[in-house]
Amino acid sequence: MKQRKALAVLFVIISIIAAGCTNNNNSPEPSSAAGESNNKPAVKEEGPVGNGTIPAKEAPMLAGLVSAGSLPPLAERLPAQEDVMVEPVVDEIGQYGGEWTMAWTGPGDKWSVGQPTEEALFRFNKDGSGVEPNVAKSYEVNENATEFIIHLREGMKWSDGVPFTADDVMFYWEHMLTKETFGKAIYDAYYSVDPATGDKALATVTKVDDYSFKVVHKYPSVQFLERVAIDNKWFFAPAHFHKTILPELVGEAKALAIAKEWGFEDTTAFLKETGYYYWIYPQIPTLRAWVAKNDPNGDQFIMERNPYYWKTDPDGNQLPYMDRIVATKIQDPSQRVLGTLAGDFNLSTFGAQDFTVLKENEKKGDFRVIPWQQPAWSTLGIQLNQTVDDPNLRKLFQDIRFREALSLGVNRGEITEIATNGIADPIQASVPEGLIGYQEGWADQWAAFDPDRANALLDEIGLTKRDKNNFRLFPDGSDLSITIMDSSEDSANYTELLKKYYEDMGIKTNLKIVDQATLQELKYSNQVPASIENISVVNVSFRPDTLVPLRVLTPWYGQYGLYVSSGGKEGVKPEGDVAKILEYWDQIKAAGTAEEINRLSSEIVKIHMKNQWIIGYAGPTPTLIAASNKMGNIPEDMIWADEFRSLGAAHPAQFYLKQ
Amino acid sequence: MLQYTLKRILLVIPVVVFISVIVFYIIQLPPGDYVSNYAAEMSVAGEVFTQEDMDAMRADLGLDRPVYEQYFIWIKDIVVHGDFGFSFNYNKPVLAVIEQYMGLTLTVSLVTMAFQYLVAIPIGIYCAVKQYSIGDYFFSGLSFLGMATPHFLMAVILMFLSYTWFGDPLLGLFSAEYVNAEWSMAKMIDLAKHMVIPVIVIGLSGTADLIRVMRGQMLDELNKPNVVTARAKGLSERKILFKYPTRAALNPIVSTFGWSLTSIFTGSTITAIVLNLPIQGPVMFNALLGQDMYLAGTWLLFMALLTVLGTLISDILLAWLDPKIRTEFRGT
Repeated sequence: MKQRKALAVLFVIISIIAAGCTNNNNSPEPSSAAGESNNKPAVKEEGPVGNGTIPAKEAPMLAGLVSAGSLPPLAERLPAQEDVMVEPVVDEIGQYGGEWTMAWTGPGDKWSVGQPTEEALFRFNKDGSGVEPNVAKSYEVNENATEFIIHLREGMKWSDGVPFTADDVMFYWEHMLTKETFGKAIYDAYYSVDPATGDKALATVTKVDDYSFKVVHKYPSVQFLERVAIDNKWFFAPAHFHKTILPELVGEAKALAIAKEWGFEDTTAFLKETGYYYWIYPQIPTLRAWVAKNDPNGDQFIMERNPYYWKTDPDGNQLPYMDRIVATKIQDPSQRVLGTLAGDFNLSTFGAQDFTVLKENEKKGDFRVIPWQQPAWSTLGIQLNQTVDDPNLRKLFQDIRFREALSLGVNRGEITEIATNGIADPIQASVPEGLIGYQEGWADQWAAFDPDRANALLDEIGLTKRDKNNFRLFPDGSDLSITIMDSSEDSANYTELLKKYYEDMGIKTNLKIVDQATLQELKYSNQVPASIENISVVNVSFRPDTLVPLRVLTPWYGQYGLYVSSGGKEGVKPEGDVAKILEYWDQIKAAGTAEEINRLSSEIVKIHMKNQWIIGYAGPTPTLIAASNKMGNIPEDMIWADEFRSLGAAHPAQFYLKQ
Repeated sequence: MLQYTLKRILLVIPVVVFISVIVFYIIQLPPGDYVSNYAAEMSVAGEVFTQEDMDAMRADLGLDRPVYEQYFIWIKDIVVHGDFGFSFNYNKPVLAVIEQYMGLTLTVSLVTMAFQYLVAIPIGIYCAVKQYSIGDYFFSGLSFLGMATPHFLMAVILMFLSYTWFGDPLLGLFSAEYVNAEWSMAKMIDLAKHMVIPVIVIGLSGTADLIRVMRGQMLDELNKPNVVTARAKGLSERKILFKYPTRAALNPIVSTFGWSLTSIFTGSTITAIVLNLPIQGPVMFNALLGQDMYLAGTWLLFMALLTVLGTLISDILLAWLDPKIRTEFRGT
């Protein structure tokens, strides 16, 4: 027993050293590999750790199936020797077995099992600066970025043992993506734009041989691989499965009959679920480390290891280490906390609001809390709809002095202490350091608490008249009030504070809570004057929607987005700096080099800095990962971003449970 | 009596039709629909939904049609095919969703109900017989507390105690390892363990209510002439107690029995959410929140039907239990 304890301590020390190595070094790949080789012999010298014996090449549960004859041997299941993907482990070689237990709210929560198990053609590297091959083995690109040849892994197989080849890519492209069978329009990634005319052209995809295919763009598409990684994520589908259900191939009537057999009412929903949300359906083969095993509508959703998974650890052990993912259905988010405290869930993620309760129970619950930074501009803030219907209000919201006053009149120190437990910094909404578009000093812009200056600004705008309650009126004598809309009461303590500060300045403030769907409807009908939503984006060129007015839904740009998305038929025509943002965006789409794209992205961000349409009162807070102390290989110092597939960026296939 | 019963049953039909119209209308009342809800949920998860996507989805689901058209299609399918529509949330027919949760819902409800009656009736009798004794005060106090405490709060308190004492808040109805396991002795024991908190919490207010009713009725009945006569004739106290006052005191309890039919089939809602119970209540709640209208509609309709049926059953039961009511029927 004592010996084990000593070993555990040793482990901790070693992993700290290893983690230290990764921290100090900014190029993660080689350094973690170096940490690896330094670290492993050290462990081995101390004698066997945990499993003790020479590591098996495959999980015991699969070895059993092989010897029983119901599964081909490992060598036949893995891709060709040189095409196997070796996944670097974070701290050490793991042990087989165990279950990742987590909470989910049911099939609607599909992304919380989807993202960690996702296998994209190309995935983002650890610091998110670019993509690396994942399902693809490698790629070649010509000089002006119009031709991409992508190579696949020879001998790689779907989870049902059928070979994965370029035909699966071609099938997806020809019969699903371009036919838009699964409810998504053809992704922007597949279009290239002529820098001169703005003409959009769809790429062509051709098969080169069984294990490579070619994507040809009419115009340069520098970010093609990144865009695919974000827009489409995967670029393939199991042809042998979809051949049996697509109406185009089996006929409309037969497809409907199959859909009914699956319990669906119509083929549209059926194809969307099977073509897009395929990972929760046990019938559909995937390339993921774990595949669905039972009906996701049950109380417990189970994903089991994929015997044909195509990655191994550096020692040649087939991944994943853990046998299963078990997602238990919960009705209320607090049950995730409770389950984690009780040890029922061994790896879950939480928002910063649960920091205190998690930290207090870390010892008792035998877990640890790992914070991952979010690329958020702020966690608490306000967006003023620049195109709000009321002409008086619109004029006011578009007045930069008004936004400055709202920013200065709020005590950020108090807000961060009360509403974020002091976790967030009292700063302005701005791009966090380390991301494209970071601007020195932006975080402090209008961030000081200066009610006198705020009031002076409001007076200067002309809001000098007051009503009997001492609230400011518009110069024409009409009532002035800001209505802040939100879809949940979770941030009530923050919005109440905000109301107090605004009303101290004489700005009447109403808080209105409506449900999610209503808020969505209100946004489309331009009925949301102000919202406390925040911006979280890694790189504007990857995901422009929240910073560039391209559609409805982000409150600050209101109807400008509708104007763009409807091609000028509806909405409000963007002018001034907003129009400039759109100009830059058009240039990004047609840009010829990565440097050019980064420069233009920075320009867009600078316009945001100048205008501060999005006012922030508290800096970003981390996402918290609560992991059982038994679970190893979970990286620290990572970025939590949807673009990087959240927890998926940690490569959960190499997480393991110390037995 | 037969004629009366038939008449009542016939009356049920227009009432249910009327209710179905109201139900459908009410579900449509809140702004937004399933599609806007779904789109909002998916944009939280980082997906992009355009207006066209949503319009196409609406057209697919038939949500772009006028309300009355949707209603008639729904009713037609129910009457002609026995098809109650499709649950958007579950991607399953409504009946399949209801079926999935029915077993456990009935289990929890029936056990809770048995708990209520088994605890409340004896205590009620005891409190009446030993009026103003210490025991009476104790149980009366307890029942007032039980009536006044909100269910979910009680649930939270019991879960907290369970977590601090046993290190397990006993969420749900099964431990993780038994959820998908075959039925076995161990699974039964696990279920029984997890049922303790829900049964106490859900049953408590009902129990408290019943104790009060039972006690009041018993006190009325205890000094009735028939009881005095029986005592004068030398019957044993026990026999008197059960033969006359208890039987009469059960009257209001039986007449409300039918009403509990709805709660048996739906289970509780808020408590079930707090305790993470896989029963109908939360399913219904989410259907309403997410505007999964056919599921919600079927549920409301079903509940209305059960209430109507329950009243019917209560009336018949009463007639059977109480000769006086029977006679009145005959008289009219």
